[in-house]
Amino acid sequence: MTSLHDYAAPEDYNLADLMTCAASREVNDNEIVFAGTGMPMVAIMLAQKTHAPNLKLIFEAGTLDGRPPELPTSVGDARCEMGASRSSGLYDAFAIAQRGYVDLGFLGGAEVDEYGNVNTTVIGDYLNPELRLTGSGGNPDINSFASRTVFIMVHEKRRFTPNVSYITSPGWRVKKWPSGEWVHRRELYGAAFRGGPSAVISTAGVFRFDEESGRIYLDTCHPGKTPEEIRDLCHFELDISRVSGDTLPPTRHELHLIHDVLDPEQIFIPKVKK
Amino acid sequence: MEKQNKRISLSEAAALVKDGSTLSFSGFTIWRRPMALVFELIRQKRRHLHLLEVNGGPQTEFLVGAGCVDIWESCWVGHELYGKYGANLSRKVGNKEMIVEDYSHAEMTFRFAAAAAGMPFAACQSAMGTDIHNPEYDMLGRAGRRDGSDPRISRSKYQFMDDPFYGGGQYSLVPAAKVDVAVLSVQQVGEEGTVRVRGQYYTDPEVARAADLTIAIAEEIVPEEYLRRESDRNTIASFEVDYIVECPWNAHPTGMFGAYDVDGDFLRDFYQKTRTQEGFDAFAEEWIYGHDHLSYLEKLGFERTLRLKANTALNFSTNVKRGQ
Repeated sequence: MTSLHDYAAPEDYNLADLMTCAASREVNDNEIVFAGTGMPMVAIMLAQKTHAPNLKLIFEAGTLDGRPPELPTSVGDARCEMGASRSSGLYDAFAIAQRGYVDLGFLGGAEVDEYGNVNTTVIGDYLNPELRLTGSGGNPDINSFASRTVFIMVHEKRRFTPNVSYITSPGWRVKKWPSGEWVHRRELYGAAFRGGPSAVISTAGVFRFDEESGRIYLDTCHPGKTPEEIRDLCHFELDISRVSGDTLPPTRHELHLIHDVLDPEQIFIPKVKK
Repeated sequence: MEKQNKRISLSEAAALVKDGSTLSFSGFTIWRRPMALVFELIRQKRRHLHLLEVNGGPQTEFLVGAGCVDIWESCWVGHELYGKYGANLSRKVGNKEMIVEDYSHAEMTFRFAAAAAGMPFAACQSAMGTDIHNPEYDMLGRAGRRDGSDPRISRSKYQFMDDPFYGGGQYSLVPAAKVDVAVLSVQQVGEEGTVRVRGQYYTDPEVARAADLTIAIAEEIVPEEYLRRESDRNTIASFEVDYIVECPWNAHPTGMFGAYDVDGDFLRDFYQKTRTQEGFDAFAEEWIYGHDHLSYLEKLGFERTLRLKANTALNFSTNVKRGQ
């Protein structure tokens, strides 16, 4: 007998499904979660429909405790406020976050270093940019205010670098201005310290951080990848001594929710092509 | 005494924004941006604008592409899923044709909240330890613009101080966002200026209050009495708004909650075609120059506008194809 709670066979899911489910499993029930546009939105709504029915969702544009009946295409979307506890604005969303309500935030990045510092601002020298990207948006804010942050990233060697072009979002070791000396995040944030990046989910594996040293390590490999292969996909020295196994595949129930309920239009999560 | 008439035309509204003005807008990324006014500013060849925006979007990209902007202080520009980044801003900052000053999103929000409350700065704890706070990257400072000669440019980008009251550690102080003109794009405004925003109101209340002059461009001007029957549903008080303009579809190609959706095809087309200056100029020639708002809507056509029109029960369109 097969059950909906069985893990799906490799040919029945793709990388986007695997990452969405990995992200969803980072959410605990009863948490307040800050959601950005894209895959994180699907992941959080998936958690809401599975193991975290009491999670509270905040959209940066002002939706508090949102329960959108249909997937919004961005956090400004008209779909956000339908079913929400309150529809407000950015001042409320950020004040609530700075106040310390937010447990978890999902974010993206173009580059990450071994301490979890993330760049979304520029490629190349900031003063002579090769390519100006979108800029920070709420990335550093959510990362500064939330207790845990999960980054979802495309894994390319140039993106996993010892020196990001620009620190947009703070990791575990950060620069203390005006001198620019590197300090542990706890030292700089003082009483406002709540945590930091807790995981990076890339297209290759799931990474975590040692809170004391602030350094990244590989936790799980996506099925088909070895720790050595993933180490070779990083420009910095990746710790592969703490690998706990493979990233768990999606269950058949999760795939059903992603593709039949949450994102049937394939706005963010494409279906497996058969 | 006769009641003051706040109603003006779109071109009169654009004329209130002078060369060199510090300007801000309503909305969020690709939602409720006063695009018709932005196109009119481009037609009127406004120059040397200083944009202070909580976040950017198509309005930024059009003004920057058309050469209207000298300084942009904000945190983000792009077209959400219809265009990864701001190609025009990226090109101009690469060529050093404009100054970009980066703050974080919460910092920009708190800067407007400070200005809206008449305070000189806000204290916050965001983005500490990042290059946003790197003094080497104070671009207005590097350009010699922080000498106090421009009342809209603060004398420093940040100050850092320890919490003097509770010993709560280090805070950053961010300067109030002082702006000359705010232009809002909203669903309804009353004859006396009362604004009712439907859906998330983003940072509209703070932006409207921070500005010296506030213009509300609305899908419709409605009787004040209608809005005052349920004043608890209103967003901005009458006296905070100086001028009002009635202009249906004024936010297109951005979306308007309850009225019409984001025109994703338009934004994707704009993003793809305006990577180069020649591409931008051709796009502006096609959609802006030689047009007024009515001929712009005629060019869009019924097929497109009817598809985008929101279902009034759901507040979004059920006819827009999303995804693949």
